[in-house]
Amino acid sequence: MHDATHAVRRRRDLIVAAVFVALAACVPLFVKDVYAQNIMVLTLMYAGLSQSWNILGGYCGQISLGHALYFGLGAYVTAILLTKFGVLPWFGMLAGGIVSALIALALGYPTFRLGGHYFAIATIVIAEIAFLLFLNWDWAGAALGIDIMVREDSWAKFQFTRSKLPYFYFALFFAAVAWLVTWWLENSKWGYWWRAVKDNPDAAESLGVVVFKSKMGAGAISAFLTAIGGAFYAMFVSYIDPDAVMSFQFSLLISLPAVLGGIGTLWGPVLGAAVLIPVTELTRSFIGGSGRGVDLIVYGSLIVLVSLTRPDGLLGLFSRKRKVEAAR
Amino acid sequence: MSITRRTVLLGATASAALLPLAARAQAKEVVIGVIYPLSGASAQIGVDAQRAFETAADIINNKYDFDLPLARDEGLPGLGGAKVRLVFADHQADPQKGRAEAERLITQEKVCAIIGTYQSAVAVTVSQICERYQIPFLSADNSSPSLHRRGLKFYFRAAPHDEMFSKAMFDFFDALKKKGQKIETLSLFHEDTIFGTDSANAQLALAKERGYKVVADIKYRANSPSLTAEVQQLKAANADVLMPSSYTTDGILLVKTMAELGYKPHAIVAQDAGFSEKALYDAVGDKLEGVISRGSFSLDLAKKRPMVGAVNEMFKKRSGKDFNDYSSRQFMGLIVMADAINRAKSTDGEKIRQALVATDMPGDHTIMPWKRVKFDDKGQNNDADPVLLQYVNKNFVTIFPEQAAVAEAIWPMNK
Repeated sequence: MHDATHAVRRRRDLIVAAVFVALAACVPLFVKDVYAQNIMVLTLMYAGLSQSWNILGGYCGQISLGHALYFGLGAYVTAILLTKFGVLPWFGMLAGGIVSALIALALGYPTFRLGGHYFAIATIVIAEIAFLLFLNWDWAGAALGIDIMVREDSWAKFQFTRSKLPYFYFALFFAAVAWLVTWWLENSKWGYWWRAVKDNPDAAESLGVVVFKSKMGAGAISAFLTAIGGAFYAMFVSYIDPDAVMSFQFSLLISLPAVLGGIGTLWGPVLGAAVLIPVTELTRSFIGGSGRGVDLIVYGSLIVLVSLTRPDGLLGLFSRKRKVEAAR
Repeated sequence: MSITRRTVLLGATASAALLPLAARAQAKEVVIGVIYPLSGASAQIGVDAQRAFETAADIINNKYDFDLPLARDEGLPGLGGAKVRLVFADHQADPQKGRAEAERLITQEKVCAIIGTYQSAVAVTVSQICERYQIPFLSADNSSPSLHRRGLKFYFRAAPHDEMFSKAMFDFFDALKKKGQKIETLSLFHEDTIFGTDSANAQLALAKERGYKVVADIKYRANSPSLTAEVQQLKAANADVLMPSSYTTDGILLVKTMAELGYKPHAIVAQDAGFSEKALYDAVGDKLEGVISRGSFSLDLAKKRPMVGAVNEMFKKRSGKDFNDYSSRQFMGLIVMADAINRAKSTDGEKIRQALVATDMPGDHTIMPWKRVKFDDKGQNNDADPVLLQYVNKNFVTIFPEQAAVAEAIWPMNK
């Protein structure tokens, strides 16, 4: 795999990503409508989140259906530090990421010993317990949630009353970093370990891969990045409650772009988010007002259609060669 | 021609005379945003809300002989007869989506006011966005008391909040005690989302303040598959009054479980929600003879105020249902907002806000049992009196407060 074409492909990926980021950064110069900007922010946020999920769920093959836990922790740590202690969200964001990574390690210690479906079930249960704790924890707002009042524009507090641009550029930065981390890890020792663990943990172990530790590493990195996304969400929406940031449904929303776009691939989460998020938002806004759920039918049909025709994800549409490489 | 003072004056007068004409030509339509859950678990609420708002818009835009503001005019006379147009948006019970939809309605649809939202969590984000864009927001049917205490200038609520509802219950207990009934102990039974939490907090505070003993305070997980353990605790406590705060499915399960375990409470005084839904009485109504629920609306009012019956018929034609606690509040939400826009004579957010602040609508010009509509400095109407209704012979009759009551309360419920 360490042949010339591999190096060329990696360099090409990096250049394509750089061009994408540069182009995306220019879009708000032409698209001034806040509603359209809002969709772009959400798309980038989900691209970043799904990319983070993909590190553990895609590359390492440990399907987590409880990532809302890390997302919610990032959101809660940031919001609580800001509203109760006046800590700026930039520090809150890092604190949230570190807390999430530590919790991921603590939870990974028992759960990464579970195989396949049992691991997925454990992640659902643990996230649900955390959801219930937050729902009943009065100090953290319980069911009422935390309302972050936005009075003025401030970079220090990362609050903006009407402008979406600062949020847009942060979301772009977040998605780009998540992509870059994945790009770098893909070619690292850990990247190869993860794929080996995914294919056959027993065989990998026998060949000297430190299976358990490599799972722990994937879990911590994935949780850290997901929490950064959660912190961003708290500041962007300026209100969080357990239902919005910690529900099981949100765990699914995080994994869906990666699954739809191409699980365990570099471009899958980005592509999945670019298709899914605008479709959900636009159909809800323009055909969702009828009260007949047409928008959800369209959304559901799209997912079914993709899974039937492209089981390996939307990425398969673009090049057969890439598909072969991904399968390798 | 040289420009003299006279020509300038002439020009100014002419422009001034033409101005109202121009304004009239512009404001043919007043656009109001309505944000509700139109898909997902509470979609039915949103669909019923649409019918309630359409009924209100019909009354505002056409001529009807009702004692309601704007009913006897076509459109808004203050804006040259402009018609109200509603734009509905779906928030799917998600605060993030509610926020995005509010922003879309304001920037793309150019709405001059927003009404919503059923779920209190969504009202938090929608009202924040309205504040940022200086557009008035009216909570038609959110009952969480925390909403109006956030220091927002553009937030208004014409209907009662949960503390007012709970206060009515305790006023009722006090009145019964004066008449010689024994009411000393209470059991609280509530679900764990904002609604149940707020409701129980208010009830606990009131019980302490007025000297009632809470012998059981049971919080349960919403949409619980089984309530057996909880009902056993209620049965053991056997309080003088059982006070549930539950949505429909939990309410049905509660009543069924109580019957299975043979627990017959002396009295049930419920915090609305499930206990004002037709579905609950369809399922377990036979076990609920004499149950009391709070409400903000009562069809009994039609006997005293025939207009209420006529408006209800208009709503029924659209939705196939009578007004209930929610749809009546939604209806009034649009009437109150349109009345303010009419008096503001403008679609400017700040001017509408000032008109809302100045609102003073007498109770008999509404379809509610309220004293009047007048907002305090936080945007809450404190004169929105709730009512207590008792389920007797498959019908709800108003039993409290006295000025609205049509029957004496049956107490205890299982005589």
